Amino acid sequence: MPENERYIELEANRFRDHCIALYNSGRYYPRLMFAADLRQSNDCFRIYMVFSEKEKDIFHIPFFDLKENAPVYKSLTPDIPAVHWYEREIRDMFGLIPEGHPDLRRLVFHDSFPSDSYPLRKDWTISRTDLNEWGEGLIKKEAYKFMEVEGEGVHEIPVGPVHAGIIEPGHFRFSTVGETIFFLEPRLFYTHKGIEKHFEGMSFFDGVRLAERVSGTSSFSHSAAYCMAVERMADIEISEKAAAVRTMLLELERLYNHIGDIGNMCAGTGVAIGNTYGAVIKEDLLQFNKRLTGSRYLRGINIIGGVTSDVFLKADDILNTIDAVTVEYKKFMKMLLGTISHIERLENTGKLSKDIALRLGVTGVAARASGINDDIRKAHPHFLYDDLDFEPHTSGKCDVYARMMVRAEEVECSISIINALLENSYNGDLSSSVKTIPAGSSALGYTETPRGSVFYWVMSDSKGMPHRVKLRSPSFCNWPAVPFAVHGEIVPDFPLCNKSFNLSYSGSDM
Amino acid sequence: MEYLQFILIIILSPLINGVIRKLKAQMQGRPGPGLFQSYFDLIRLFKKDMRISNTTSWIFGAAPYILFTSTIVAAMIVPVITTVSPFSVMGDIIAIIYIFALGRFFMALAGLDAGTAFGGEGSSREMTVAILVEPMLMLSIFTAAISAGSTNIAMLASISGPIYTPSHILALSAFIIAIIAETGRIPVDNPDTHLELTMIHEGMVLEYSGKYLALMEWAHYMKQMLLFTLAVDIFFPAGIINNTEPAALAMSFGIYLLKMFSIAFFMAIIESSRAKMRFFQLPSLLEGGFVLAFLSLLTYIMTGR
Repeated sequence: MPENERYIELEANRFRDHCIALYNSGRYYPRLMFAADLRQSNDCFRIYMVFSEKEKDIFHIPFFDLKENAPVYKSLTPDIPAVHWYEREIRDMFGLIPEGHPDLRRLVFHDSFPSDSYPLRKDWTISRTDLNEWGEGLIKKEAYKFMEVEGEGVHEIPVGPVHAGIIEPGHFRFSTVGETIFFLEPRLFYTHKGIEKHFEGMSFFDGVRLAERVSGTSSFSHSAAYCMAVERMADIEISEKAAAVRTMLLELERLYNHIGDIGNMCAGTGVAIGNTYGAVIKEDLLQFNKRLTGSRYLRGINIIGGVTSDVFLKADDILNTIDAVTVEYKKFMKMLLGTISHIERLENTGKLSKDIALRLGVTGVAARASGINDDIRKAHPHFLYDDLDFEPHTSGKCDVYARMMVRAEEVECSISIINALLENSYNGDLSSSVKTIPAGSSALGYTETPRGSVFYWVMSDSKGMPHRVKLRSPSFCNWPAVPFAVHGEIVPDFPLCNKSFNLSYSGSDM
Repeated sequence: MEYLQFILIIILSPLINGVIRKLKAQMQGRPGPGLFQSYFDLIRLFKKDMRISNTTSWIFGAAPYILFTSTIVAAMIVPVITTVSPFSVMGDIIAIIYIFALGRFFMALAGLDAGTAFGGEGSSREMTVAILVEPMLMLSIFTAAISAGSTNIAMLASISGPIYTPSHILALSAFIIAIIAETGRIPVDNPDTHLELTMIHEGMVLEYSGKYLALMEWAHYMKQMLLFTLAVDIFFPAGIINNTEPAALAMSFGIYLLKMFSIAFFMAIIESSRAKMRFFQLPSLLEGGFVLAFLSLLTYIMTGR
């Protein structure tokens, strides 16, 4: 069991009070909540809640057991709003009901999925008829009711799930008064792939390839967090060299994402030149990724126990490319900041207050732009981040402009981290050979993706195969915040606000 | 020949749109589609089948024809390469503005007709913009009309030589803002966007497909070229001839094309250098245009030039 994870077993009725006490002390961030089916070994379900301490590198993980014949527990949502989606997800996946939850509609599954079917239970099966009907989506088995806003002049605009551009599916229902957005309800999970269930059907070693396909633009962060979780569980120490390679590639991933995202915001304001300029720099970086690792999205590098290729052999290429990108990037930012009409659109648009961001457990760029100084690289140092000198960038402005500027500052921070990494040399083998995974063990893995923190929690069964893999992507945390950011904005500004968060549908529809 | 000059507008309008698209792509560092891409788009659309929502009424089917024919009627009144315009007895500049309004009215109705959210949004936004643009367009033209003593466009265009008085320059600025708004270009609308929620013109035609869409798009290209033509007729008439000799016509046609390409270049620069405005800030731009037009009229009345 890793040193910084403190598991605390509690009685079902004490769990809620304990969590609320931790939350109210203000010294902890609620990170994720999940369940595991332990009916074979312990004859119960187990629900975990992960808090991370703000000042120290410690995770507090209270958990409690729940019997199958009484699958009801007191909801935490009224006191800790950040867990509202987690509790609904656990309801959909395990059939454990949070009593007192203000919104018990289904979250993950859509209308044609059978009502009493809980896929993450170990004994889950689905009949051929149910499967076909689910695939066709014609028969509504449990109708989803959208929230309704009533009153004079309220107009409802349904958008999606099929959009005019080539993007992933998501449905947005706006209730507007004139052009002003009064209420927005997103309906996601159209591309739910059952990834957590998939993990259970393959070995921990094969799981790496699945992890890096959860969300295309965060492939490396996901596989790094997954490998880290398995390595911590199996007590494997990766070499300094492997840690350096992972740190380097995490920053390269951040670099191409942030520059691409800044460019993408220009599409929201119609600045086509900024949009293409950002896309060109991003493409340069992706081609560089391909030169460096053989994969544009840095896939196939992480394995359990280390990495497969030593990018430091191409240190000169890295140095030259990063220098060239830095020059281009500075020109790009100068152009953007000089386009007053663009900046004017960003300022005071899509404000997400610090209070709401904290309560919803927002992570990553969106949190830092709302003044929350939270970065997993700093809060829970891993790989080589402890030795590196950097500070998370925050902004108190809370608007789209702040989200752009936080990204811009992080680009510079990533460039300096990459340059600092290149100054030293690192020892050790690329990977240590790992044959077996200990049975009945569990651990957390985490890292900071370009969008925010990603967590993997893995648990092995009695044979050393995956019993439960919980994955929490940053998009899952941040989607509920988007409606708050666009409240009171006008409808044509929604795409801009949405792009400033740049959340992944695929990453949320796990 | 003078009877047929409106055909130039029908035939060349997709080319002008292609030129703007090409120039914009070049400014973004992309090769962009060929100059004739707009023709290919229209041909492709004409060959396609149509999908028509069964919630629509006759308006949906009638709007493309009304829009297309009304734009052609407007094109007949406008002198393109010669001011000898036999159709000009049919109407003057005020008639043109209201012929445009007729097309716009039916397009907005058609946007509402299918009952979709985006069509309604587009129509509501289009009418908001139209209310602000029309007075500006009128006032800026009145300045030129008063100095020419007529609202007949052939008369306006016959005034030979440049007329760069302060009142005309003010009127021209207002007219340019009106053209940008009328043709749905940045900073008012974004013709290239795929973001349904931000659309104005595209929102209204979102339900259209196949031949109807082709007619709508073609009418939009023609309207754009007509507005450009009006701008050169009123503010840069130099080069337009008042007879129908073939050699002179050819010369005038060359000059006309040159003027069109210059305006296309100018539009491409504006579109590439600015962000789209926030929708609720549009009134300040359009009211600014109105003030310019009003000032131009005032200047003319007070200074007499």
